[in-house]
Amino acid sequence: MTWHVAEEDLRAYAQGALAPPLLWSADTHLTGCARCRARLAEAADPVALDAAWERLDAELDAPRPSLLERLLVRLGVADHTARLLAATPVLRRSWLLSVLFLLAMTVLAVRLADQPALFLALAPLLPLAGVALSYGPSLDPTYEMAVVAPTHGFRLLMIRTVAVLTAGLAFNGLATLALPGYGLLALAWLLPALAITATGLALTARLGPVVGPSLVGIAWVAVLAVARAQTHPHDTLAPFTTAGQCAAATVAVLAGLLLHRTRDRFDTRPLGGFPADGVG
Amino acid sequence: MTTTPTPGPASDPTPGSFSGPAPGSVSGPATVTAVDLSLRFGGTRALDGVSLRLGRGVTGLLGPNGAGKTTLLRVLATAVPPDGGRFTALGHDPGTASGRLALRRTLGYLPQNPGFHPDFTAFDFVDYVAILKELTDRAARLREVRRVLDAVDLSDVRGRRLKRLSGGMRQRVALAAALLGEPGFLVLDEPTVGLDPEQRMRFRELIAQAGEGRTVLLSTHQTEDVAMLCHRVIVLAGGRVRFEGTPAELTARAAGRVWSATHRDPSALAGWRTGAGTFRNVGEPPEGADLVEPTLEDGYLLVLDGESAEAAA
Repeated sequence: MTWHVAEEDLRAYAQGALAPPLLWSADTHLTGCARCRARLAEAADPVALDAAWERLDAELDAPRPSLLERLLVRLGVADHTARLLAATPVLRRSWLLSVLFLLAMTVLAVRLADQPALFLALAPLLPLAGVALSYGPSLDPTYEMAVVAPTHGFRLLMIRTVAVLTAGLAFNGLATLALPGYGLLALAWLLPALAITATGLALTARLGPVVGPSLVGIAWVAVLAVARAQTHPHDTLAPFTTAGQCAAATVAVLAGLLLHRTRDRFDTRPLGGFPADGVG
Repeated sequence: MTTTPTPGPASDPTPGSFSGPAPGSVSGPATVTAVDLSLRFGGTRALDGVSLRLGRGVTGLLGPNGAGKTTLLRVLATAVPPDGGRFTALGHDPGTASGRLALRRTLGYLPQNPGFHPDFTAFDFVDYVAILKELTDRAARLREVRRVLDAVDLSDVRGRRLKRLSGGMRQRVALAAALLGEPGFLVLDEPTVGLDPEQRMRFRELIAQAGEGRTVLLSTHQTEDVAMLCHRVIVLAGGRVRFEGTPAELTARAAGRVWSATHRDPSALAGWRTGAGTFRNVGEPPEGADLVEPTLEDGYLLVLDGESAEAAA
């Protein structure tokens, strides 16, 4: 043994006050270190010690958390929230790698064609798609169990949205760094991304997780097509000008308000119905 | 409704597996009461004025495909709100936000196709559902997860990924998740479908244990499940309740309407060759027919036949 649990941590452990990830480290260490177990027995009163042993016993049964969960806990996310996020389909490694690949290809195309609009058009769609696919019956296999659970559906949606948005925006940010020649213009995807993601979520409450975001995605492409038709090939498209950015910010705020007003709908009825909907 | 018990092979509970109140009317106060529930999907009336009362113990819900069983269970589990009618469960009215939350806190639900995250282990999955059920204190949650996995006899495979478990084991994992938090109302949608006979028996034992002191609604295609487990049975067809009573009462519906013959009687509603080589006919027996003891399945067939005749008229 090259280390032992610190006295202070040992006392916190005995009182049930030690938080992950220190708690996990202590659990793992105590199972293999007789010396620290003896110190624990001395440091704790009998009642607290029984509780600690019971907790350790239960902890031993729990499988090791996934890499994503461990990372989230290290970043300060509560362990139960990390578990909820680990069940988000679009936070799986395969999805994240697909998004990275798509962004890499787009950055390459922008560099070859000298057309930043390619990236600016695609980047807002990725968070929208990620959020749309993170909650709902089509991709979440446990959706039916989640719907009848006391955890509010809107809360679960928001937890996953924040995580997916953070990941999506971080990826887009990395892609932006790969396009240094375009200055602030390369960041003009951010406000449209927030606007169409918030609008997609707001419509999800009424139209379901497929139709709502799909309509918003189509509308975004239509706006870009119209802007392209009305703009000189070397000028910046309207959505990425100052006026366009102000409009996107306004849409994001309004959609956020609408989403908040419709939050109870996420709790009262299944979004878009269950996959095998019918008489049953 | 006649109350004459007509014991038959399929209507006798297997010794040791029966649980809950003795057959009869809903014993004690009703814990779940539904009045005139209705729900449409497009042009299809999935539920058409369903009224029922459930008490403690296991109540079986029988019905053919498309009868509305899954829809009814989803409504009672608060997964889908009804278009019309109302129900209360364990004193909670899910028509209000507070009542719905209170009911969900004491509900255990095993859907017809419980979805799984394939990369989760059995422990991970139950732990995930425990978090959805607001068990956020890690130590208490882990103890509860271990308790329910022990209850369904899956402690040995708790660390195995779900995609590596058999269908029967996965169903038991889903049942463990439904049992989290000692729910007072357990809704089970065809949990024995696709299981081999041994797994089915194991599952019946678990449901019987789960039914002790709880209100359990068990949807099934298998009349054997009802005969072995349930003190009450509801037959649903065409979105309406066609029968509500004890398994013995359902069996009694077929008293004097099942006969043995050397051939399939063309006038019979159903007839099939038995292992003994004779034909078992169900329907209106001819004069002098050799009547035999009916089973729960015979009664169920006749109730469905009554429903078909009503629909045709």
